[in-house]
Amino acid sequence: MATRLMCKTLGAACLGVSMAMSAPSVFALADIIETPSRPTMLAAENLLNDADRAGERIVAAGERGHIIFSDDQGETWVQGQVPVSATLTGVDFGTEAEGWAVGHSGVVLHSGDAGKTWELQLTGIEAAELAIESRQQQIEEMEQKIEEAPEEEKADLEWALDDLFFSMENLESDLEIGPVNPFLDVWFENEDHGFVVGAYGMFLRTTDGGETWRDWAPRLENPTGFHLNAITQITGGALVIVGEAGQIFVSVDGGESWEKRESPYEGSLFGAIGTGQVNEVLAFGLRGNMFLSTDLGKSWKVVPNEAGATLNNGAVSDDGRITLVGNGGTVLMSTNGGTSFRPYSRDDREGVMDVVPLSGTNLLIVGEGGVKHTDARGKNLQ
Amino acid sequence: MSNPKHDKGEHYLTTPKAEPFLERLIFNNRALILIAFFFLTLFLGYNAVKIQPDASFERMIPLEHPYIVNMLEHRNDLENLGNFVRIAVEVEEGDIFTQEYMETLKQITDEVFYLNGVDRSGLKSLWTSNVRWVEVTEQGFQGGTVIPDNYDGSSRDSLEQLRQNVLRSNEVGRLISDNFRSTIVYAPLYENNPETGEPLDYGEFSRQLEEKIRDKYEAQNPNIDIHIVGFAKKVGDLIEGIGSIAWFAGITIILTTLLLYGYSRCITGTLVPVFTSIIAVFLQLGTLRLLGYGLDPYSVLVPFLVFAIGISHGVQIVNAMAVEAAKGFDSVTAARLAFRALYIPGMLALISDAFGFLTLFFIEIDVIRDLAVAAGIGVAFVILTNLVLHVLIMSYLGISKGGVRHVQNHGEKQDRKWRIMSYFAHPGVAPISLLIAVIGLGLGLYYKQDLKVGDLDQGAPELRADSRYNKDNAFIIDNYSTSADVLVVMVKTEEEQCTQYNTLRAMDTLQWELQNTPGVQSSASLANVSKLVTKALNEGNWKWYEISRNQTIINASIREAPAGLINTNCDLTPVLVFLEDHKAETLKTVTERVEEFASNNNSDEHTFLLGAGNAGVEAATNDVISSAKNMMLIFVYGVVASLCLLTFRSIRAVLCILIPLGLTSILAEAIMAVSGIGIKVATLPVIALGVGIGVDYGIYIYSKLEKFLLEGKTLQEAYFETLRSTGKAVIFTGVTLGIGVVTWIFSPIKFQADMGLLLFFMFIWNMVGSIWLLPALARFLLRPDRMVAKARASK
Repeated sequence: MATRLMCKTLGAACLGVSMAMSAPSVFALADIIETPSRPTMLAAENLLNDADRAGERIVAAGERGHIIFSDDQGETWVQGQVPVSATLTGVDFGTEAEGWAVGHSGVVLHSGDAGKTWELQLTGIEAAELAIESRQQQIEEMEQKIEEAPEEEKADLEWALDDLFFSMENLESDLEIGPVNPFLDVWFENEDHGFVVGAYGMFLRTTDGGETWRDWAPRLENPTGFHLNAITQITGGALVIVGEAGQIFVSVDGGESWEKRESPYEGSLFGAIGTGQVNEVLAFGLRGNMFLSTDLGKSWKVVPNEAGATLNNGAVSDDGRITLVGNGGTVLMSTNGGTSFRPYSRDDREGVMDVVPLSGTNLLIVGEGGVKHTDARGKNLQ
Repeated sequence: MSNPKHDKGEHYLTTPKAEPFLERLIFNNRALILIAFFFLTLFLGYNAVKIQPDASFERMIPLEHPYIVNMLEHRNDLENLGNFVRIAVEVEEGDIFTQEYMETLKQITDEVFYLNGVDRSGLKSLWTSNVRWVEVTEQGFQGGTVIPDNYDGSSRDSLEQLRQNVLRSNEVGRLISDNFRSTIVYAPLYENNPETGEPLDYGEFSRQLEEKIRDKYEAQNPNIDIHIVGFAKKVGDLIEGIGSIAWFAGITIILTTLLLYGYSRCITGTLVPVFTSIIAVFLQLGTLRLLGYGLDPYSVLVPFLVFAIGISHGVQIVNAMAVEAAKGFDSVTAARLAFRALYIPGMLALISDAFGFLTLFFIEIDVIRDLAVAAGIGVAFVILTNLVLHVLIMSYLGISKGGVRHVQNHGEKQDRKWRIMSYFAHPGVAPISLLIAVIGLGLGLYYKQDLKVGDLDQGAPELRADSRYNKDNAFIIDNYSTSADVLVVMVKTEEEQCTQYNTLRAMDTLQWELQNTPGVQSSASLANVSKLVTKALNEGNWKWYEISRNQTIINASIREAPAGLINTNCDLTPVLVFLEDHKAETLKTVTERVEEFASNNNSDEHTFLLGAGNAGVEAATNDVISSAKNMMLIFVYGVVASLCLLTFRSIRAVLCILIPLGLTSILAEAIMAVSGIGIKVATLPVIALGVGIGVDYGIYIYSKLEKFLLEGKTLQEAYFETLRSTGKAVIFTGVTLGIGVVTWIFSPIKFQADMGLLLFFMFIWNMVGSIWLLPALARFLLRPDRMVAKARASK
């Protein structure tokens, strides 16, 4: 059962209600992935990292295992029942009812009831075990390959083999500590097929709604194990992953195979979104750097941005307007398909992690300070 | 006028047949005793003058309470956590981004740097190099001081650059107000001077802040206002507040003298009680100093009580002597007769005062125990100065003719007044009085339901809401993200283990639990620092806002943690809980939640201990106060009841005397509830003092009333005679006691004002109760015929 948050306005009114709510007693602490998220009235006012629509419903996920959802355009929020207390970093719905959330300690959570209740499908321990297994397989294949390869290619392959060993040792030593690494984003095509991406190049795929996962990292050319920060689908159906040190990967076959793109940028990219036009994608990240590609990432153009704060995520409204959000209260808006943006700096200067266009031109933003309703520029309503 | 023959009666209250031993002892050695007093006064007076103000705040907290024990045990680990001053420099017109403002701020920063007691390495302002902006770049971190390197203040560019740096500094809400109209100079203080080891002189430090910072720079730049808060400033203001007591002493003495003259119309009858009462004060203060006590903001009030008690009992002596003198006795005989008539009720009253004070020992807080000692000593001296010194001096000087005439003349007009008041004992009036009393009781009980434990006002409860300090405090609370009420939970671990993942996670869980508790605003600990820095180390990405399981990452994340959050051995780390207020309920809810968490989660790895911070101290104090309150009430009433029972040997008499007192106590609590005064260190003693001293009136009235009833008079007639002989003295006693404390209401120290208000009410209302309600109760409770019969039978 979910805890009802019956507050008309976020903030002060919620506090009043919380007094009436009886507090659960505190028991000795289990591991963070075995500790259910505490029912709280404060989830909508604290860090939320990602938001998505489940049909008309808006679902947002954030720190301490908070997942909240709203059926009235963000006016009132209900907290979902989540079996972990780790910081969650991404949420995505494959259908109106079937959704997944990911986060620290390598957790993957699944909901079959549009966000009301969640079950733990995968932890960082299993994820690491999958990756180690897959690395071992890669190593065996590579050793095989080295044996068969002509002499002049052997040196390069030896290097690649070293990378694989190094990667596996890292995975093993991390696993000794526990599920240390976070997933950073999730994308599901439908109720069966989806991907999770994460720190140090973690990349898993499922085709059975998360029942089983396969390590998909070998499909990316990412030997250094750069963080994979975001995965998204753009208009036209291509999938895009962006990450640390300007990593950009594109798949045009539904994720079966991935191509590494030449990056226009050496810094971190934190997000990518389609512009609404076929094969067009905007990638953005550290210090407000932003790039537009109209050819599936084969070539990139710098999009000028005066606001120097890191950009985290974005969304396209029904009317084609593109909104990007970022640290320091940055909200950027483009009405010309992403060729130029008008910056706005929110008064609270808190980090904004995601944006959900509402009816009309209003926006719902989530981030450091929870949920806020804003106008099209990102200025708080009321 | 009482008949001298009556004074030769057989009752214990009237004088025994012969001169009692004490009377002979005193009156046969008059000169010797006076000389002894002279030297005693000289010796103790010399010491009294040298008594020092003592604002040791450790004495104001319940040292035996486990919270305080924990706090003091870990005091060195937490030392600098709470001891700082924040100086907010506010612009009146415009914002902070002007050359003038920045120049003034720079000078203030420099000035604070050189103040004695400031921990210079921790000093923070826009102008110190430790206030920086940091930005993540592709290559790593980039940053600099908030004041741009090329700052010249005159160009718009450099001011604009400054504004940019301020915005990205992460200090908005902390060092810079949200509206950019003020900034803070933050100065941590040394408890002890690191070079000389001398403790910080709070009074001196606070004066320097006023002179060298506030006065100087507000005069120099009329466009700024300076607001200063911090423990040191508060203590400084309190110490200064003690100083204003001298004025109150002067005013009290003048008012009392005038009143006394109006009462006695006799210069000697005025000056001698004032003189002997002042001597009692000197003797008390001198003894205190010899016993090693100083004057703290509580015990500084005791001399007022001692003086007032001295005067109020002195009045009885003057009154009795004037009555005897009017009968034609010479001054020595008048003094003897007055002594003979008064030494028993006088001593009884004074001893009950003293016992009232001693009940304060139930409160395990040193200042209150000191108060009990000081007041006990004072009352002991009042017995000596009042019943011995006063009487002896008067025996030499005598009552002046004017004074005697005044007593003789009070006849007709006075009598009419007493006649009317005697109707309080009338069978028709008494039920009405009782009904009013019952209604009063009902109202009192109704309103006192809201009575709260602890301090209720915002800001520093010791000072007034409209004091400079509390206004400054309100300014800072309004403009910065900060709370003045901090509860510190201490987390104890093995050495070097205070940053372990499990410990940080437990702290984080506790913090979240508390943030979900009503009354908690926010919290801070190493766990927050670790999460924030982990986020920052991951290119400022909020998705990394979590405590890492990897100890290497945790260690990296807290490398730059503020010194107060980690002790040198890394075996203690605090969780700071910022509260919305310091109301007792808030403190109780929060501390209970912490204790529950601690009992569930304390392990070999970590122990959660309450509690330091001002809120921890207040929670402990409230705890001690609420458990002491009922004990103290039972004891003080028990003592007073036993003393009355011992003296008057009648339960009915005890009821007549105690019921008005009880009504007053309840009404006083109702007044506290209505005027928002909580039960706290300052007001709890008032109940004991009010009852202990308040019983005097009842004793004086009842002893006379009983005497006249035993003579066979009807109740109303006996009460008329009682009022004639002692009514005026009793009313006067109430008024002098009231005046003795009423000046405190104007004290800059809030709790002194609260004490003044409540004691004033209790002294006056106890007097009214004994004059108005006692006779009405007597109408229902006393059986005069049986009393007479019993007295005859025992003869």
